[in-house]
Amino acid sequence: MEHTLFHTEALSVGYDAVPVLKSIALSLRPGEIVSLIGPNGAGKTTLLKSVTRQLAPLAGAVYLDGRDLSTIPLPELAKEVSVLLTERIRPELMTCRDVVAAGRYPYTGKFGLLGDRDRAVLSQVMDLMKITDLADRYFSQCSDGQKQRVLLARALCQEPRFLALDEPTAYLDLRYQLQTLSLLQTLARERGLAVLLSIHEVDLAAKVSTRVACIRGQEIDRFGPPEEVLTSGYIQDLYAIDAGTYDHRTGSLELAPVRGAPEVFVLCGGGTGTPVFRRLQREGIPFAAGILWENDLDHPVAQALAAEVVSLPAFAVVTDQTMDRARALIETCGKTLCALPERAMTGLAAPLAELAQYARSRGKLEARHGL
Amino acid sequence: MKRGLLFFCCLLPVLLAACGETGQETARGPADLIPSLTWQAPDDLDAAEAFTLTRSQEGYILAEIPDDDAAWLVVPEGQPVPEDLPDTVTPLCQPLTDIYLAGSATMDMLVKLDALDAVAYSALPADDWTIPEARNAMDRGDIVYAGKYSAPDYERICGGHCGLAIENTMIYHSPEIREQLERFGIPVLVDHASHEETPLGRMEWIKLYGALLDREARANAVYEAQAEVIRALREPDSRKTVAFFYLSSNGEVKVRRPDDYIPQLIRLAGGDYVFDHLEAASALSTVTLQWEEFYAAARDADVLIYNSTVTEALPDLEALAAKNPLLADFSAVQSGEVYCTKENFYQASMELGDLASDLHAALTGDTDHLTYLDRLE
Amino acid sequence: MNAKQRYRAAYLLLAVLLLALLALNLCVGSVSLPLSQVWAILQGQEGGAGADILLRIRLPRAVAAAVLGGGLALSGYLLQTFFHNPIAGPYILGVSSGAKLTVAMLLVFAAGQSWARSSWAMIAAACVGALASMGFVLLLSRAVDRMSVLIVGGVMIGYICSAVTDFVVTFAQDADIVNLHNWSRGSFSGIGWENVRVMSLVVGLALLGTFLLSKPIGAFQMGEGYAKSMGLNVRAFGGVLVVLSSVLSACVTAFAGPISFVGVAVPHLVKSLFRTAKPILLVPACFLGGAAFCLLCDLLARSLFAPTELGISTVTAVFGAPVVLWILVHRRREGVA
Repeated sequence: MEHTLFHTEALSVGYDAVPVLKSIALSLRPGEIVSLIGPNGAGKTTLLKSVTRQLAPLAGAVYLDGRDLSTIPLPELAKEVSVLLTERIRPELMTCRDVVAAGRYPYTGKFGLLGDRDRAVLSQVMDLMKITDLADRYFSQCSDGQKQRVLLARALCQEPRFLALDEPTAYLDLRYQLQTLSLLQTLARERGLAVLLSIHEVDLAAKVSTRVACIRGQEIDRFGPPEEVLTSGYIQDLYAIDAGTYDHRTGSLELAPVRGAPEVFVLCGGGTGTPVFRRLQREGIPFAAGILWENDLDHPVAQALAAEVVSLPAFAVVTDQTMDRARALIETCGKTLCALPERAMTGLAAPLAELAQYARSRGKLEARHGL
Repeated sequence: MKRGLLFFCCLLPVLLAACGETGQETARGPADLIPSLTWQAPDDLDAAEAFTLTRSQEGYILAEIPDDDAAWLVVPEGQPVPEDLPDTVTPLCQPLTDIYLAGSATMDMLVKLDALDAVAYSALPADDWTIPEARNAMDRGDIVYAGKYSAPDYERICGGHCGLAIENTMIYHSPEIREQLERFGIPVLVDHASHEETPLGRMEWIKLYGALLDREARANAVYEAQAEVIRALREPDSRKTVAFFYLSSNGEVKVRRPDDYIPQLIRLAGGDYVFDHLEAASALSTVTLQWEEFYAAARDADVLIYNSTVTEALPDLEALAAKNPLLADFSAVQSGEVYCTKENFYQASMELGDLASDLHAALTGDTDHLTYLDRLE
Repeated sequence: MNAKQRYRAAYLLLAVLLLALLALNLCVGSVSLPLSQVWAILQGQEGGAGADILLRIRLPRAVAAAVLGGGLALSGYLLQTFFHNPIAGPYILGVSSGAKLTVAMLLVFAAGQSWARSSWAMIAAACVGALASMGFVLLLSRAVDRMSVLIVGGVMIGYICSAVTDFVVTFAQDADIVNLHNWSRGSFSGIGWENVRVMSLVVGLALLGTFLLSKPIGAFQMGEGYAKSMGLNVRAFGGVLVVLSSVLSACVTAFAGPISFVGVAVPHLVKSLFRTAKPILLVPACFLGGAAFCLLCDLLARSLFAPTELGISTVTAVFGAPVVLWILVHRRREGVA
């Protein structure tokens, strides 16, 4: 399946002849999931609307299977392309089943009555999205998350080959975020569905997408597989994050570190330090952490939150220099917290037990693990 | 505190009512109002009940219109206004000139009194008058159009030193106009002839205007002549049933209340008004009737009289039938006894006797010389 | 009961109500006709004055009230769906103001002319005015891309027409002003079979057309964005809806003057009865409901203070407004937006 299902050429989108994005060149193959990421107001929604004929493009063209989108009659297009919009709809007195059934519109007859095939698709999709128990409830009485799933089900009922979703994970709790993205992956893989979606959860984008498109300024800055696009520091830059940090390896967001000379030294590793760091950050206490190898679980968080990190390259042996630095910090800090249990401080980590001893001897050691 | 307030609020209407009553108990006659003059008994009017005239030996006349709480003292030319004239009585010094006439029913009376030169302003444009003398006076420029009654041209009226404004009861819908005129020092007399219950009562108002304009002899003569015409009408051999009605622009049937002056004229003329049985809940002189009701009552009426407004005279029977196909069924239409009022019907307020006589002629089949009605062919 | 049972029961109720009110309207009046006599006359077995009144005055009037009431309710339903606005009614696009303007112009400027005297002149004038308003709204709909802006446009057109009407009225005789005022109150009085034939044709065609458009109307209930994504040409369809609803309300206004509240209240009542907004069910149901509602109001208008007849708008407002209020409060409590 190498042919391109969907692509744009020199596309320019915007409202009232004012371009929001220019020279867009996106493409999707069947079975691909492409995520659009970018700051608020970058134009993700505008772009999604323009490629689904909700909004007329200002310049350039959009092609589906090689055909210019604007030449395809709307009823035919409805069988190929379906959308999930961010607009809140207020369908009066419609049950969830009615809303999902609306997706069969392009396929039903003169009066919109559902046939056997329509009903089959309907129940299958509702099962997939796990909304069968919502079927008879009024749409307007559902929670935002439920509504989102119903509308996604509706989009799937249209049996499209290309699906455009505007923030499909908004309003969804963790369970349903994962469920939805998994479902999209499954459909992409098994049915060759091409999905273009905009998403704010960059970490999820990295996990689910075949390719990621980053909108920056008035253009698509990067378009490619997540591992090539989402490099160190890029997201921080793209979103102009100034009140915290984003780690591209873990996809983890951390709040801003407390500035100042460290008051506490945290002996940790293997993930034991992270809760401590976060608590100290919440309490507004600047701290130092060590000795952390670069491949340690605590390392990224320490880098984000600590005033100073005593760190070593992965798998390296502890040097004297490192020990001296650690001891110096234990001296200057008011207290030392040891988050590691004794039995963990063995092997390569044996010097940490030494540091703990040292801290005790200086009267600075406070409670051990279990803090 | 709250209870005291509540008590006071309950007391207030009682207090106010008491004040009102005391006011009524001591209703004052002319002798009480203007004791400096020597008053005679009020004039014995023939049929009018909405105004009274009381004369003083010195030549003054007190005209009162109780429905309006209005009292006017006619001050003869050359005589002074009495010093003890209370605020509730408005002096009108003769000769009255530059009258602003906004009550169209009064025009005919003034014309008959030959007092048209006292009028300077009219609330109807020249073309809207059907009385020829009035129209001519306006064409000559002796009388000038000064705005509708509901929107008078104050500048024009005040600039010309208006002596009196004669309005009709429509002014009650726009009290601010009356107040404005009075603020400019122009007395406003509201003609209540329409409140009279009989046609003779309506016509007797000419005596009031005669008193105001020093044309009393003439007023009496004109009135007597019309009263005589009415008295001379002979009861016909057989009374015919008459329906007097019109169809509004949206198809509704409008008839006059049985106690209105036109049905009374019809009765005087020897006809029976088919809508006499109506107990209308309307304060207006015209009642909207349902088609069924109209059909049931008027289908077999002997005579139909269609009340055309000034602008809508029907040229022939076909035009009437075009308004509603059901009319073709009416026996009067089939026998051809259908009349339509002429444009002079309404403003001929001082010719009601002649009007009754015309109706009488129509009902008795003498249709060659009708003045106010047209027979529809 | 499940949905299908509910719908069947609701339709039955509406049908029964309609027939009952029709029968009442034929029996009640200044000349009271018992049902047996009515039946005899309808079968052609009786003649006379009673038959005349029934067949030539009451029956056409009742049919007119039903047809026009149904048309108004249908127009209201269309506009409420189209604009997603629960207080939209047949006159929200300025149709009645346009009709009133041309009627005022006819009364004031052409009163003396011979051609202005027939009842068809008023009807034609009202029709012209209503359709002209509709034309302006259609032009507007092509210039804007959000349909909700049309409401503002319609209201503005209404204001303009009212202002021009006031201007025309300053040159009017008092009698004309009264005539215009009477016309604005709305009335079924004086409607004959000729009128009924024309209005039935127009309303019948509009009803059929609307029913055939049930599917696109349903798509519209999902909002313009989704409707378009499902293949509906929103702008063209919007134009068709405007035309249909305007023709319906123009027809009513032309024959009976502006009648308020039927178009706003009846769709709400019917929706509460059916508990759904599906066009394929509601289009006929609104028509039946509107017919019944109008028959009831006309019955009250003519019989409450007989022989005086109340203006139909007076009665519909007394019934319509509280119903709408109750529905809105009730639905708020239910949590249905």
